Amino acid sequence: MKKLYVFGNEHLAEDRLARQVSRLLSGRHEIVHCRSPDELLECEDEEILILDVVRGIKEPVIIEDIEKVRAKKIMTLHDFDLGYFLNLMKLLGVERKVKIIGIPAEGNVEELAKKVEEWA
Amino acid sequence: MPKEITLNHITKIEGHAKLNLSMEGGKVTKCELSATEGSRYFEGIVRGRKYYEAHEMTSRICGICSCAHVIAALSAVEDALGVQISEQTYKLRELLTLGERIRSHATHLYFLALPDYLGYESALAMAPKYGKELKSALAMMKAGNGIIRLLGSRDLHPVSATVGGWLKLPKQEQIDEIRKSLEQIRTDTVETCELFSSFRYPKFETKGKFFSLINPKKYPMLEGSFGSDGGIFDKSKYSDFIKEYHEPYSSANFVVRQDKRYAVGALSRINTSGKQLSKEGQKALKKSQIRENSKNPYHNNMAQAIELVHYVGEGMKICEELAIKDEKPVKANAGPGRGVGAIEVPRGTLWHEYSINSEGKITNANIITPTAQNLLNMQEDIREFVPSVAGRKKEEIIIQVEKLIRSYDPCFSCSAHFLEVKWA
Repeated sequence: MKKLYVFGNEHLAEDRLARQVSRLLSGRHEIVHCRSPDELLECEDEEILILDVVRGIKEPVIIEDIEKVRAKKIMTLHDFDLGYFLNLMKLLGVERKVKIIGIPAEGNVEELAKKVEEWA
Repeated sequence: MPKEITLNHITKIEGHAKLNLSMEGGKVTKCELSATEGSRYFEGIVRGRKYYEAHEMTSRICGICSCAHVIAALSAVEDALGVQISEQTYKLRELLTLGERIRSHATHLYFLALPDYLGYESALAMAPKYGKELKSALAMMKAGNGIIRLLGSRDLHPVSATVGGWLKLPKQEQIDEIRKSLEQIRTDTVETCELFSSFRYPKFETKGKFFSLINPKKYPMLEGSFGSDGGIFDKSKYSDFIKEYHEPYSSANFVVRQDKRYAVGALSRINTSGKQLSKEGQKALKKSQIRENSKNPYHNNMAQAIELVHYVGEGMKICEELAIKDEKPVKANAGPGRGVGAIEVPRGTLWHEYSINSEGKITNANIITPTAQNLLNMQEDIREFVPSVAGRKKEEIIIQVEKLIRSYDPCFSCSAHFLEVKWA
């Protein structure tokens, strides 16, 4: 079963939607709730499939070009986030296709789940 | 020569810290290193809670060192309630924290410290040329993570360890899996030592003494007395020789040992207990630039690299010795009692103390992190080091000062907790 790596924090209103949406999916994927992006190192699927909240969007998007994901300057290890990690993987030549399904921070959970189901 | 340097955000460290430095005629007139994290209140949060909640709650102090806080809290609670754990529990706890030590050292060395020595702004900038080294770091981090996940049932904030034992024991096959994963990173740890031993470190000696737990049986990890050539102290009486105090400019406490500054961490452990390193660790130590009782704080990075070699060997040894048998956690009496847990964690000695009443509720808690213990020494090191580079450009002084701070591998998130709360 293909894995779907879900990011976010249930306790933060602006960061909880991906986890809520993942609970409504049909079960075609093994859901992995990521606490740290280095968990992606464990992924053995040909394509790394990620579900995360993207700031500044109103509709769900698919991001396949990692360069579009901003890598913050790493100030502390707590900044070692998804953007940083994906950019690092690319620079290190880790040959892996990445597909990020980005959803807005706010929206109808059921509708978003339908869209994610379609794209995942 | 710059007159004032203010670093509002010292980069590539854990958490957030600030430095205010004033100079006049090449002399430092003001040097204030402070944690700018918000106060954490953990010692207050656990008051009134049951003894078996302390480790789960305090593990949230830090995502980097969550296993360390779990084990330190469990040790303190078990000390308070007179719980004797089994050899299997002890070895699994060692293994869990070894996973965290490996992950933490590898991450700090490659992602925070290495860019300094190779002249890059960040590890991302280093990646095109030093891909092999970064892949090696990721392999070590992955192995460390794997140990924590298998034993703790999570990558961060482990939930399997409990008072008196384990809620969920690993299977024997999983222990074998851990052994194999450690075997796979052996060469990476040796190469890390070679890399960090190849750099030129600034010549500087701290005036603080180096302290760590000292265990006559083995290289210090989960038990021992607290000591150095400045004396050996019984951990249960730690508050007689360690004092915390507050400076208005910092949200972290400062800590002194009998009114004097001191340092904890990998270099302290090598200084007090280097002879107890594994054969491979001793070999790496001999090849390094660290000589007996090094007083150069920059050598802490080399010491961390040496510990990586030692920890991997120790982890494999524990896996070979472990034959997992079904065990239930040892039952604890409710209380009353007072206990102290002191363990060595990646950044130095971590102290947890709890008082528990007859209902099993925590009535008092105290936590002292390694970074709080190092804070005064770091600050005074900066004060003493800066005159040697005072003639350089401001930007160069900043890089040198940040490098000195980073060599301690501080974690300011954990250290911020000074605020006292008056309880009704």
